[in-house]
Amino acid sequence: MKPIEVQGLTKDYGEGKGIFDLNFSVSKGEIFGFLGPNGAGKTTTIRHLMGFIRPDSGTARIVGLDCFEKHAVIQTKLGYLPGEIALMEEMTGTAYLNFMADLKKLQNKKRIQELSDYFELNPKGSIRKMSKGTKQKIAIICAFMQDPDILLLDEPTSGLDPLMQNRFIDLILEAKKNGTTILLSSHIFEEVERTCDRTAIIKNGKLMTVEDMNSLAQKKKKIYTVTFRDIEAARRFAAEDRLPLMEIKDNKVSLSVSGAPGAILEKIASAAPVDLEIKSQSLEELFLHFYDKEEA
Amino acid sequence: MILPLLKRNFCSCIKVFLILFAVICLYTTVIIYMYNPELADMLNDYQKALPEMMSAVGMTGIASNLLEWIQIYLYGFIMNVFPMVFAIILGNKLLMRDIDRGSMAGILTSPNSRFSILLTQVVSAILLMFLMLAAVTGVGIASCEMLFPGELDISHYLLLNVGSFLLQLVVLSIVFLCASFCSESKYFYTFGAGIPILFFLIQMISNMGEKLQNLKYLTIYTLFPAQDIIQGTGNAAAGLISMAVLSLLMFSGSMIWFCKRDLSL
Repeated sequence: MKPIEVQGLTKDYGEGKGIFDLNFSVSKGEIFGFLGPNGAGKTTTIRHLMGFIRPDSGTARIVGLDCFEKHAVIQTKLGYLPGEIALMEEMTGTAYLNFMADLKKLQNKKRIQELSDYFELNPKGSIRKMSKGTKQKIAIICAFMQDPDILLLDEPTSGLDPLMQNRFIDLILEAKKNGTTILLSSHIFEEVERTCDRTAIIKNGKLMTVEDMNSLAQKKKKIYTVTFRDIEAARRFAAEDRLPLMEIKDNKVSLSVSGAPGAILEKIASAAPVDLEIKSQSLEELFLHFYDKEEA
Repeated sequence: MILPLLKRNFCSCIKVFLILFAVICLYTTVIIYMYNPELADMLNDYQKALPEMMSAVGMTGIASNLLEWIQIYLYGFIMNVFPMVFAIILGNKLLMRDIDRGSMAGILTSPNSRFSILLTQVVSAILLMFLMLAAVTGVGIASCEMLFPGELDISHYLLLNVGSFLLQLVVLSIVFLCASFCSESKYFYTFGAGIPILFFLIQMISNMGEKLQNLKYLTIYTLFPAQDIIQGTGNAAAGLISMAVLSLLMFSGSMIWFCKRDLSL
């Protein structure tokens, strides 16, 4: 029995919306990514795992229990960070954190203080007046306050500044070390890349693939844009053999590179460019790869 | 029952509770203060001059004592409208708002079943409504005793308020039933607020004339046996029991639906 098991999960909202026949499971101590563009069905899947909605068919189980029927039991082991943060705006941050701790029957409130310090959160003052990032921090603390065995995180770093994003990633890596099972949904590849062991790619409600992170990183291409002194030099470089050439524009040559960068960097270096810019392939472009595979 | 949730509910409703309590108290004390035979004659003249107008707001009949005075001029309109407004606000603050804006997700991340969550909300609402009407009853008795010592038939006044409380339970149960079904506030206001208001308007129209009298079978307000209670005639118990049963049924329906429904939080 794995901590999270989803079998044939289907919820049809009509007009192609919803999720269709999802199958995956997450092992203990694993960070499982859930990657897909907006509207792909990530949140719908997590709502099933939280027991907010019932599947049309299929099952969603956490620690072997049905997520809808047994949601109250499951919640003792679960931490949840919603994608859309909706707090009780009329409360102060401090009151809300205390309220959630009481509601979760938390004995030890020391962890709340630790986490507030860690994220440099000042929970005093009305939630209504807080920025999106501050609300996000409060929601993160609610998810982590009872040191749960399983975490469901729906786009957890949205609204956080880069420093806090890094701290958050450190926090979940720390939790993983302690054996926490984590499901993390995201539309940002880098976030998944830095944390996850495996990732599911979901599009239009269907599971495209479940990939090992290493193999996904290999499939993922990078765009190298090399700038030369003049058009002449750019042309000369582009004429070389076995270049994964994408485009030549004025004195800039774009290459689409996958795998180890050593050989290509040597070639670039020997052509004496004035500048080199490396961009990751966007998620959409990566999806295209899986989309094509499905079509074929 | 979830105590932290109960506490939150009371904190978030205390302001509106106090405001409505103050308004109802104001009306109650003013109406009681106005009780005197001469004014009663004048108001009887009003009833003759503007019969439809006065009867629409339930102000019909001749007050021969203080209790009848209170029943005619308070329990036809004031004591229906303001508690109804309170019930609609309670339904919104205790259930609809959390569903609509998604903060119900926070409550559901605690190890509490949906049943105990909704039970807590229903009990909170009933308790707050009870406290409101109990406090108003207390103020009513106190002002009567101060202004007209010994003139109020207290036991029948208490029974009148029990009836008023049961009527408001029916309203509350309609409000909660609607909130359990709705996902968005706008639908809640259409039905959860609209249905009680509609019932109240039908009651006002049916009061007005003989031809329109049959409309009284279409509104819950007919169940409130105010005159039977006051005069000790008829079968007041039937009305009281049917209101209790009706509200129980609708609260149960609201519980059952809330436990089964999808919540897209």
